[in-house]
Amino acid sequence: MCDTIINIVNIVGKEVVRTVVGLIGVFIVVIGNAIMLTWAERKVAGHMQRRIGPKEVGPFGLIQSFADSVKLLGKELLTPANVERPLYFLAPTLIFVPVLVTFVVIPFDGFLQVKDINVGILVILAFSSLTVLSILIAGWGSNNKYSLIGAVRSVAQNIAYEIPLLLSLLPIIFMANSFSLRDVVEAQKGLWFVFYQPVAFLIFFVASVAETNRTPFDLPEAESELVAGFHTEYSGMRFSLFFLAEYTNMFIVSAIAVTFFLGGYQGPILPGVVWFFMKTYVLVFVLLWFRWTFPRVRFDQLLNFSWKILIPVSFLNLLVTGGILKL
Amino acid sequence: MILAAKTIEEFRSEFKSVDISEVPYDKQGYHLAIEAQTGNLLNIVEFLDRREFYIVDLFCVDYQDYLELVYFFNTHRELCRVKVTLKLDPEKPVAPTISHIYTIARWYEREAHEFFGIYFEGHPGLTYLFLHSGIDHYPLRRKHVPVPDNDRQLLDSFKPQEEEDCFFVNLGPQHPSTHGVLRVVLKMDGEYIVSAEPVLGYLHRMHEKMAESKSYLQFLPNPARMDYPGALLFNLAHVETVEKLCGIAVPERAKYIRTITCELNRIASHLLWLGAFPADLGGLTPFMYAFDDRENILDILEGVTGSRLTYCYFRFGGLYNDIDEESFVSATKRFIERMRERLVMYDKLITGNVIFINRIKNVGIMEQAKVRKYGSSGPFIRSTGIPFDMRKVDPYEAYGSIDFEIPTGHTGDNMDRYLVRMKEMEISLNIIEEAMKKLPSGPFQTEKVPKKLKPPKGDIYHAIESTRGETGVYIVSDESDTPYRMRWRVPSYSNLMTFPYLAQGLLIADAIATLGSYDIVVPEIDR
Repeated sequence: MCDTIINIVNIVGKEVVRTVVGLIGVFIVVIGNAIMLTWAERKVAGHMQRRIGPKEVGPFGLIQSFADSVKLLGKELLTPANVERPLYFLAPTLIFVPVLVTFVVIPFDGFLQVKDINVGILVILAFSSLTVLSILIAGWGSNNKYSLIGAVRSVAQNIAYEIPLLLSLLPIIFMANSFSLRDVVEAQKGLWFVFYQPVAFLIFFVASVAETNRTPFDLPEAESELVAGFHTEYSGMRFSLFFLAEYTNMFIVSAIAVTFFLGGYQGPILPGVVWFFMKTYVLVFVLLWFRWTFPRVRFDQLLNFSWKILIPVSFLNLLVTGGILKL
Repeated sequence: MILAAKTIEEFRSEFKSVDISEVPYDKQGYHLAIEAQTGNLLNIVEFLDRREFYIVDLFCVDYQDYLELVYFFNTHRELCRVKVTLKLDPEKPVAPTISHIYTIARWYEREAHEFFGIYFEGHPGLTYLFLHSGIDHYPLRRKHVPVPDNDRQLLDSFKPQEEEDCFFVNLGPQHPSTHGVLRVVLKMDGEYIVSAEPVLGYLHRMHEKMAESKSYLQFLPNPARMDYPGALLFNLAHVETVEKLCGIAVPERAKYIRTITCELNRIASHLLWLGAFPADLGGLTPFMYAFDDRENILDILEGVTGSRLTYCYFRFGGLYNDIDEESFVSATKRFIERMRERLVMYDKLITGNVIFINRIKNVGIMEQAKVRKYGSSGPFIRSTGIPFDMRKVDPYEAYGSIDFEIPTGHTGDNMDRYLVRMKEMEISLNIIEEAMKKLPSGPFQTEKVPKKLKPPKGDIYHAIESTRGETGVYIVSDESDTPYRMRWRVPSYSNLMTFPYLAQGLLIADAIATLGSYDIVVPEIDR
């Protein structure tokens, strides 16, 4: 009896410790990644626009984003008079929950994973859909017409692009025969799935650009049309939470793309975690590259592209994959 | 000239009792003068409308004994400026509206209403255009004329009425894409625009009134403040008009230098637009590239004029100083070479981009036939296929001796406006190159220009092609050293008037793109 209890406590304790340590680790990665990406975005933008970008604070301006964060923390939290207070306060916090939860199931390395859940990809897709909820709350609660237009756009956009996103991942799940992310990575020991499924990879990447609201699909915050879109009324640290979430989302979609298509943490010589981050940041760089090259698409073009091109093509791809696997 | 003679003949046969006279164009800048009465004004305007005249300007001059409404018309086919005047009683000035014939008159009449207190019978909404808060007298009247109370109620001009299914969005005056402080009240149905109503006056500084209290020389720096990206061209409009009015000759060398610097300024202005237009569409990188090139022009012009943005370089009878053979000429040559390569690069970076093409092609189409009603000009109408350019129609400075083509579009959509401006930059480079080759030596300033100019009595209208279109100055002189009345006809004003028409039924994103394609400058509209 006693032994069983000790055993259970042992097992549960291990799990708790693992989860707590994991979450702290995830938190550090999230914050560090967002701060680094802010710097990277400004630096990449600078060099693409024949400028230098930040260079004064720290070597290569590396500390610049820290300085900015401190500035944002020190700012007064301004609440406009006519906002829906509960919703207005809830939105910036809520946008961070899915971001943190998603990190839990991503395998950074063979052993470096907070929790391997056997429906890992479903957890990611389910929680990432929550982001749109917080954007909607932010837009509605701000009581601003620009914010509302931005929020409504965001909902339509996310619904349209979640479908090709899921449909492009399904062939991989067929091939790996598992919903667990680690199994998916292990299944790519030989050849990466991107070589079996180039179409699915392209669809996934395009859809994920739309999911993260990045240019050319940055309609919810389209600054030349909607001032700042759904976060027009937010300032100070509340604004920077949205900002942080955007950069973390960029990392997440790139990480999922790496996990599903580019062999995850697998690679020769270097430790897996290095491979994982290298591949992820290459994809993140492509996202940055997009932003500073393309103009924004129009709303109807955005939806047409998803419903008329991406979804039919990804269905076709799914059918062909299923057919070949069955044979 | 042929058209003017033909118009006179037709006019005389149709209106027996109305006085029409031919005016020396060289002296006064228009061909025909018609004195209308309140009764026959509409018939005369309709007569001109049937002959496809476009409206250049509509404004008022206060001669104390009477108020004179001045209507200027012209055609796109041939230069034939017609001035129609209508005398009004200063105690109770009432005139018939022509806004149902020429749409732009809706704005011009509102302007005349708030500055002179003229009522226009049948005007759909005679609210204030520029002056939004408590004025107590009509600012451009010579005597103190208080604004009556019932008139002042019109001050709170535009109050949107909330309706079901629609909501209103205030685009501006603080908005990233309104290029300054333009405000557009959008009535929206979802993301579609039901109607758009520009609200002006946030940058109104009353340059026309300022001119009345300054001598011609003192007013010299003002025009640059109206159109800051194309400051030299506005400077030129003022200087040329006064020269024409006083009969001051300009040396050949000065003419060529004026042409060269003006074209440089035109490219700089177009580059500013080239940066801002893709930014309106969400592409931020071309902005920096365009500013990089523009910087080169600013450096060159700074070397010769002394300032970087609001130039005041031209003087009556010449220039402020001569160009430097070594630094200016070689720097300009280097720039031309560089800019030609860069234009190819812009073509690759922007013009071929699929998203860009899909965003602007067949959006915001302006019909060629409609342009006339709004009095639009510049690249805006050239994109609809009308090859109308003051540099060609009425060559001033050295443009007469330089061979250049006028780029035109076909459909008049955003893409055409983009392409026309891109081509214009290329042609400006050619003009500069040719003018540099032909640049004569000699004095850059006429010797005998009196410090205090006292032009002979009379009026004059003169127009040049600024970066945005036909920029005209109308001066009434009373032999004193200050103008009795100075009127600025600015291109952005009449171009912007088409926006409510084009924006109808567009998505908000397309409307922003369309507004960006206009290349408006708000200080110029508000004056």
